[in-house]
Amino acid sequence: MSDYIFETEDLTYKYNSRQEKPSLDNVSIRVKRGVRTAILGANGAGKSTLFYHFNGIFKPGSGTVKYNGSPLDYDRDALTELRKNISVVVQNPDEQIFSATVEEDIAFGPMNCGMERPDVERAIQDSLFKVNMEEYRYRPTIQLSYGQRKRIAFAGALAIRPDVLILDEPTAGLDPQMSQDVIELVDEMVEAGTTVIISTHDVDLAYAWAEEIHVLRHGKLVFSGAPEDFFADLEQVFLTGLTVPHTYSVNFMTQSIKGEPLAPYPRTNSQILCKMRNDGATVGHIRLIPVREGSDMAEEEGAVGIYGSGARRLFASKERVADYHFNAIECCLMEAINGRPSTLYCDEHMMPFVKGRIASLDGFGSHVEVVE
Amino acid sequence: MIKGLTNVVEVDDVTFTYEGASRPSLDHVTVNIKKGVKTVILGANGAGKSTLFYQFNAVERPDSGQVRVLGQPAKYRGKRLKEIRSQIAVVLQNPDDQVFSSTVEDDVAYGPRNMKLPPEEIKERVDRALFETGLTELREKNTLQLSYGQRKRLALAGALAMRPEVLVMDEPTAGLDPQMALELMELAEQLHNSGTTIVISTHDVDLAYAWADEIHVLRKAEVIYSGPSEGFYCDNIKVHSTGVMPPSMFVMNRNLADIRGEDSAPYPRTETQLLSKMVSGPKGRLHVVPVTDKVDHYMLDPVFEHTDDVKVGVFGTVSRRLLYASKMPADFVFNGFESCVGRCLRGKDAVLLCDADCINLIEQKVAGLREFGTDLEYKVYP
Repeated sequence: MSDYIFETEDLTYKYNSRQEKPSLDNVSIRVKRGVRTAILGANGAGKSTLFYHFNGIFKPGSGTVKYNGSPLDYDRDALTELRKNISVVVQNPDEQIFSATVEEDIAFGPMNCGMERPDVERAIQDSLFKVNMEEYRYRPTIQLSYGQRKRIAFAGALAIRPDVLILDEPTAGLDPQMSQDVIELVDEMVEAGTTVIISTHDVDLAYAWAEEIHVLRHGKLVFSGAPEDFFADLEQVFLTGLTVPHTYSVNFMTQSIKGEPLAPYPRTNSQILCKMRNDGATVGHIRLIPVREGSDMAEEEGAVGIYGSGARRLFASKERVADYHFNAIECCLMEAINGRPSTLYCDEHMMPFVKGRIASLDGFGSHVEVVE
Repeated sequence: MIKGLTNVVEVDDVTFTYEGASRPSLDHVTVNIKKGVKTVILGANGAGKSTLFYQFNAVERPDSGQVRVLGQPAKYRGKRLKEIRSQIAVVLQNPDDQVFSSTVEDDVAYGPRNMKLPPEEIKERVDRALFETGLTELREKNTLQLSYGQRKRLALAGALAMRPEVLVMDEPTAGLDPQMALELMELAEQLHNSGTTIVISTHDVDLAYAWADEIHVLRKAEVIYSGPSEGFYCDNIKVHSTGVMPPSMFVMNRNLADIRGEDSAPYPRTETQLLSKMVSGPKGRLHVVPVTDKVDHYMLDPVFEHTDDVKVGVFGTVSRRLLYASKMPADFVFNGFESCVGRCLRGKDAVLLCDADCINLIEQKVAGLREFGTDLEYKVYP
């Protein structure tokens, strides 16, 4: 297995031969396996064009594309095989949804991958549940709103359980809750071993989520690496049509005025708040309740949050609405920073991830205790 | 304009149900849009925001309740309907629902022609609207050849050319890259400054918080809050149940205030306001250079008499377009005011090239920083 899920070398592509500037211009990019990756760039910078090379829809004008260490093979059978492993969810769901009903649309991918009928059924149920669209299973797709169509397109990609999930502007046009739900699902997939690549305009979201970013400008790759190194170069940021994330900017300005070092770089509101209070204190605790098959409610204190699809299912089965039913980790951390206890129901397999998020505050000078 | 008018649009106990729907999309909704108040409508997808906008410009007739536009009851046909459409311009989220003509300039001219304006005035309005949205060079282009962001600007240009009393924008920044979104919000601020009432719906709570004087929050077809942003965001769990997240600036300020045992008010809504409240150090000066009909290097000479360690930002549509035309480099082409003040807070000088009709706006913004502890030394050059 290669360390890189995708590698391109000198990839150049034009939509038509008369095009003066290529849409991708000598792009050599390496996307690491299992690393949360964001592709940034203004409209028209080449993000979508790059994605279409990853799943073999476009063939490079020149240069090469490798998946998992091997060059892409563009014959039909090889491409069908490739698309079992790589799911691309395009920005506009209308370009992706073709079937008459929601159910048929989601079944399309799994059937094409040769999944057995009972597995297809399970995949449909599971992915509809994950995007919170179970009651729409038999609806005609044309009756759905934009946000709903967007979630159906996403469910279709989840249903084939890909090795790589590529999301083009997954949160554009979605409200904050839906956006956070998408990120939560994505994190669940990353924990389960899927490599996720997201393109987005939302620099705040990219900064909070991504471990590594790649930046495109006019078809050229202008940066690959840790987000902080990119946002430190204001001129470059402005040239690429982007802006600086709030958390980066507030940290940068505060530390500059105080004459103190910028690192460690906070990426979330909870981290920046801990850095500013900086008293090394234990600020509060979060009661973590692992959720597995057959789990029930447990002893709680303070506001209650849910994280993960198992926790969601549990609350749905009890017809209960949690205080924090999206963005729950950050909400519980905020409670702790204010010295208030809270309870987080969390899928068992996501516990290491959640504990990691909680422990990350130690690096910013505050400790939040975990009670299990 | 009617004297003494305070509400430009009044939606009074309106219920509206789409044909064939089982539930109303607006359920006894009462909303007043105040003249000259920067207004944001918040709510999850499907909460009823766009449906509410269709009440503003009489596209949909309510099942019950009443809508008044500029003091007069809305009418759904004839001359009065035409009049309402020219007074209240609604820019839809998806430009494809709005852009119909084959060329850019024809599309912008559509509204003014419908208003039966004289040809010279139509031309003047189209020119201005294209200039403000940065589409002048594309005026003869086929609308089908435009990118999404360009079509989005074109839809806005069409609305601007109507010179409406009220400009309503549904998700104006969705799908735009961040710099274009900032440019659009600056234009909204400038239009507000020149007397247009602006109403925006958005999912971007950070942007809404920085910009809005008043918010109305919709949840499942009902209005659950109307008032200043802070009154809504202070109830964490209520905010959460609406599917919205509190803005970063609000969260940071409130938590820092709690930690320090201080009062949350005054509430900073921008980064420079938050920083002013949190940290202080030696400040640089802000040099404001008004722009009317040209931008060139000589304009900066008087500033260089004071200092040569400056960075240059721009504020306003005219300044930005003239800057592009002049090929003069600038450091902060977007978010110019915030970026320049950010630099001043770090002890360095900055120059802001600013549309002449926005100088008062900049003065207000600088004065606004005082309550957060920053008394910025600034100078407006002749």
